[in-house]
Amino acid sequence: MAQGRKGQLNYRCPRCLMREIDMDMLYDRDKAEYYCLRCSFTGDEREVLRLNAQFREKYRARTVRITEF
Amino acid sequence: MAAFYVNIVHRPEMVPEYLQKEAEQGKVEDLTRRAVLQESLDIFRTQQQIAHANGLRTTVQMTYASLFNAEAVALAQEHHARFGDEIGLTFLGLQCAEFREKFKSKELAIWLFALDDKRRIVDELFGKFFEVFGFYPTSTGSYYMDAELVNYIKSRYPQVKAAVATCWEEGPKAYWNANNSWYTLLDGGPWNPWIPSKRNIHCPASDEADDIGLVAIPHLSRDLMAVFDGPGSYYGTHPQNILRGMAYEGRELPYFQNLVDQYRALAKYNRGYAYNMMFVGPGWMSKSGRWEADYAFLLKSYQEGLAYYGELKQQGLLQDLTMSEFADVYRQGRPYSRPECALWRDILYGSRRQMFWYADPAMRLCLDMNQGGALVDLRPYAAKLLRPCGVGTKANQDASYPFLVQSLYRAGYFTHYAGEGAVKSCKIGHGGEQVDLCACRTQASFSEAGDTRIVTLEPVTIEFEAFSVRVQSEFRLTEGSGEVEIIRRVLDSTRPDAELTIDEYITACYGTTEYPEDLTGVRLSLQSGSASEAIDYAYQCREAELADVQCVEAVIPPVDTRLSLRADGAASGYFREGFAFSPMYTLGIKKTLRGQGELRTWLKVAKAS
Repeated sequence: MAQGRKGQLNYRCPRCLMREIDMDMLYDRDKAEYYCLRCSFTGDEREVLRLNAQFREKYRARTVRITEF
Repeated sequence: MAAFYVNIVHRPEMVPEYLQKEAEQGKVEDLTRRAVLQESLDIFRTQQQIAHANGLRTTVQMTYASLFNAEAVALAQEHHARFGDEIGLTFLGLQCAEFREKFKSKELAIWLFALDDKRRIVDELFGKFFEVFGFYPTSTGSYYMDAELVNYIKSRYPQVKAAVATCWEEGPKAYWNANNSWYTLLDGGPWNPWIPSKRNIHCPASDEADDIGLVAIPHLSRDLMAVFDGPGSYYGTHPQNILRGMAYEGRELPYFQNLVDQYRALAKYNRGYAYNMMFVGPGWMSKSGRWEADYAFLLKSYQEGLAYYGELKQQGLLQDLTMSEFADVYRQGRPYSRPECALWRDILYGSRRQMFWYADPAMRLCLDMNQGGALVDLRPYAAKLLRPCGVGTKANQDASYPFLVQSLYRAGYFTHYAGEGAVKSCKIGHGGEQVDLCACRTQASFSEAGDTRIVTLEPVTIEFEAFSVRVQSEFRLTEGSGEVEIIRRVLDSTRPDAELTIDEYITACYGTTEYPEDLTGVRLSLQSGSASEAIDYAYQCREAELADVQCVEAVIPPVDTRLSLRADGAASGYFREGFAFSPMYTLGIKKTLRGQGELRTWLKVAKAS
């Protein structure tokens, strides 16, 4: 197996993020995938981005500018 | 007109831990790595440039390392002369080659050193600052400044008037969020500036004799709802923290402006005063990006954040002060007893939820309107606990101020399983039926009558099998009383002859984390005329009740606190001991009525000894 390294962008594990743990992933160049040292997640960049988008969905007001308080 | 004060703080942190860790990938530690020192200084310069371009003044908090860097010192002096920035001194960013050589320690948190070491470090930093600038700083700070540390600073450098003293609710949640590696266990303080007690930095001072001698400001202004149930470092006036929490879409984060505007709106509850603090360390603007965010996004978020403050200043809606200037303004005409209030609303999750936060020298509390106004957090500031932290102390890393109620750490209102969780609420009963107001979502409004702050909840409808009643709750907090007056009003009933019970209760414990503490020795008691009942807690499920109660109380020796309930008329009182699988104690007051009526009770926290 290849040595794990930090990726170009330092992605956190999207599964750990779901439970609000910031867990840096390592990148396996041979398999072109990220993997988590904590929760066994593996996935390519597209999968990470898909799950990150899912994480953001809980913020239903994330695009709303609120001006009345 | 309302005043909105903003402190913008920058620090030339020559060896920020994040940047250093990144540069170290595949290499051994080197605190003098030139690339890191240069990048850090470039970031500091960029941050200052953005602030000044938006017409904002800053407080430059010099780190120990930066005092050895001629370029950093020259920049601070130039910006002080040109823009009126303040030059202060921070205990963040301690680690550098000079510190390592002098103190032989890799410790990075000032509050976690042994007290003797804290004193030596204070003298070294203040001495070096004087050597470089020819004067002593009047503002200082760290993520946390314990009272013992600040008392020493004040004894040696009495001119210090402001300090960044804590990060709001950065405790077990922050630790968990950082994969159990970030030791800022600092829960329990105020969210907005305060004058701390000499005995414990978290507690607002009661009077001049208790005044620690400086104005404390929080490290960032945090979302008072999102951070109660989430990591502090996702939701605050720190644009890159918002990127960390991913509270954006595309590259837009309106949440930052929403947060600032909600803080501005807190002027309504605080006699026209509102406050914000922004303090982004250089590690958050690394050229190689931070987690998912590339440098361009990190920079954009910071530029837009300061641009918004600049825009508000141009409109005359914001005053940018340095930390020391703010300390002077804050103290003007402010009595020690004045509370800090915030009726906070959800600006992130798309709900209508509200929480009401309150802090004064006697207590900090939070009411959750999603749970019918249940009290979900209670810190007994009246105890003014002496609780030193750092190496050689009992608390060691745990610098939090203890709670009696923290509903998220200790379950709160139970919707399943046996047992009870920590919460203060009220149950409305009829025959064998009972409804807890925790199950009745509502909305609140805020008003004032003289020195009493009033939170009035919209009535909720309780539906029994054969009829329904409408109940309204009101919380009254009178400045300096150390009590919360709670009124539960039955407004009407569809069956006016039906008997109702109102059971006002608090289920509590004590602690600083999610894990239970030993309740052995907590004393529960009841007083009614000449009759009384008392037990020492031993997990035996004992209960007692007396009619015409005068007082129900719990004395909790480990936190030196007396928690009591009293009523204004004929009512019965009770206490209930828990058991090992439900380590809680409950105090309550009950009243029976028909049709309309109310139960008025007072909750008090006091120092037990």
